[in-house]
Amino acid sequence: MSSSRTNGKVVPLESLGELVRDGESVAFGGGWFANHPMAAVRQLIRAGRTGIHAITVVGSVDMDLMAAAGTLGHLSFSMVTLEAFGLAPNVRRGIESGSLPFTEYTGLGLLIGLEAQGRGMPYLPYRGPFGSDIPARYPEIYATTNCPFTGEQLTAVRALQPDVAIVHALRADAEGNAQWDGTSGPDVEMAKAAKRVIVTCEEVVDRRVIVENAHMTKLPGYYVDAVIEAPFGAHPTSHVPRYAMDAWELMDYAAAAGDPEAIAEYVARIRNETEEGYRERVLKGRDKVLGALVDAAEVIEGAQA
Amino acid sequence: MTDYEIHELMTCRVAAEVDNDGVTVMGSFTPLAYASYMLAKLTHAKDAYLVGFDAVGMAPVQLSFTGAEASAYKGAVCRWGMLTEINSIHLANHGGVEAVSSAQFDGSGAINLSAIGPFEAPKVRLPGGAGAAEVIKMYRKMIAYFGNHNPRTLVDKVQFVTGTRWKVGDRAREEAGLQPGPIVVVTNLAVLVKDEDDRPFRIESVHPGVDVQTVVDNTGFELEVPAEVPTTAEPTPQQLDLLRNRIDPFGTVKFDFVSGKERLSYLRGILDAEWDRAAARVS
Repeated sequence: MSSSRTNGKVVPLESLGELVRDGESVAFGGGWFANHPMAAVRQLIRAGRTGIHAITVVGSVDMDLMAAAGTLGHLSFSMVTLEAFGLAPNVRRGIESGSLPFTEYTGLGLLIGLEAQGRGMPYLPYRGPFGSDIPARYPEIYATTNCPFTGEQLTAVRALQPDVAIVHALRADAEGNAQWDGTSGPDVEMAKAAKRVIVTCEEVVDRRVIVENAHMTKLPGYYVDAVIEAPFGAHPTSHVPRYAMDAWELMDYAAAAGDPEAIAEYVARIRNETEEGYRERVLKGRDKVLGALVDAAEVIEGAQA
Repeated sequence: MTDYEIHELMTCRVAAEVDNDGVTVMGSFTPLAYASYMLAKLTHAKDAYLVGFDAVGMAPVQLSFTGAEASAYKGAVCRWGMLTEINSIHLANHGGVEAVSSAQFDGSGAINLSAIGPFEAPKVRLPGGAGAAEVIKMYRKMIAYFGNHNPRTLVDKVQFVTGTRWKVGDRAREEAGLQPGPIVVVTNLAVLVKDEDDRPFRIESVHPGVDVQTVVDNTGFELEVPAEVPTTAEPTPQQLDLLRNRIDPFGTVKFDFVSGKERLSYLRGILDAEWDRAAARVS
């Protein structure tokens, strides 16, 4: 185990292309418009990775951008949506045209598949989504089983082991001990299930900072293979409490995403700039407001007893 | 009578289903559902237990597109992750009420959030159901809401069953280890209820100014029409005041009821207001 004074597992974002190989399965953390590892998504696109089998529970701009950039070879998901900004046009186009092979999980099924792997089980049973057409589509994932004691009919979900999990944390130290304050979504389950784990984070900190806030550590370092500092690394999705989702950038994305020429341009811009260049271009003069959106969000005062 | 808009009546009717029992999980930011939960918690269901994003035991929050997530954490008593949530709420039978919407819904209580047309090569690939497939089966009450009640949405049979209530009647549900409770559908025209497996949805009420035949004509599945169909309760001045001034001053709920070209400019207007409020804190 490296000491906090060495770089330990810390590597630059630019090395991500060497840590993830073409054709591998990669679980991407975050959910809704919250905390997707977007700096990593952009870097995989810059590195020209292809054939990636992406796994997401509730994906959004992360999956659609990779679909647009030709990064994906397969998509496993329980939901992908741009919410207020519409359906995800490039994922949609890929599936409707048959060019993007996919696996649609039920939400709980996907999480339980990850949990099974994380616990070293070949599968886990649960009181499943009876009546849903999804399980019958995927006999290699879902099966019917019975409780050995009562005979009750249950749904079995096969363990799901991604080659890599990429999750975005608030902070991590050189050992890979990673902390979240707001939304962690499926990040921990994905990391526990994957063969290799890459943590991107808003900042790399000394071990002392982790120890002082030990109750916020959701992923202990022994799971983690690489730590990458990526400020605004979830942008344009949120990383609460640091910054809210950038709805304005998402609106621009959604406007481009439906038009093949415009989205090709959008992808080319990302491909041809560094992550630092991206921050400079998209966040200049706006980063403080994205943070202030978190501060401005209101609880309805006086409502609680 | 106070003037109100249809999304406000629907919000109040969904809110009426939220009670003090069990846990409500909110998932992604769906304004009408969020507004309903907040309204319930500020009025008749102060002990409603809300979970939004990974914020557990939330205080009621003001709705905004960019701030809903952040505000959820500000008044919450606990922070979990998705797996702990499903293990501790859904699978542990603590799920009380969750309101869903879908592209298609049928008279058996099935939803389609997957595909229009063949599943493998669809005409329209829909977003997918996330946890809905399990939630609508497991939760005590299934609430579904539709801003546009028509026979293309409320269909005889969904083209793909993303999820379904599975067992509907209280006894059938209890025998299957599920919490007993009805399916309640709230649309822009009426309220439909189903609480027995072998009986169709019945019209519980029609909204003011809507006649029963319009509801029947716009529903793709069989409806039971009672001899007397009451009118849905209108929002009270107190409810409207809470919705307009405290819960949803930016008007996020209405967004899903704005169509066509106006939709984008309506959204832009809300986001501008959210930006301006935040920017004022920076300068």
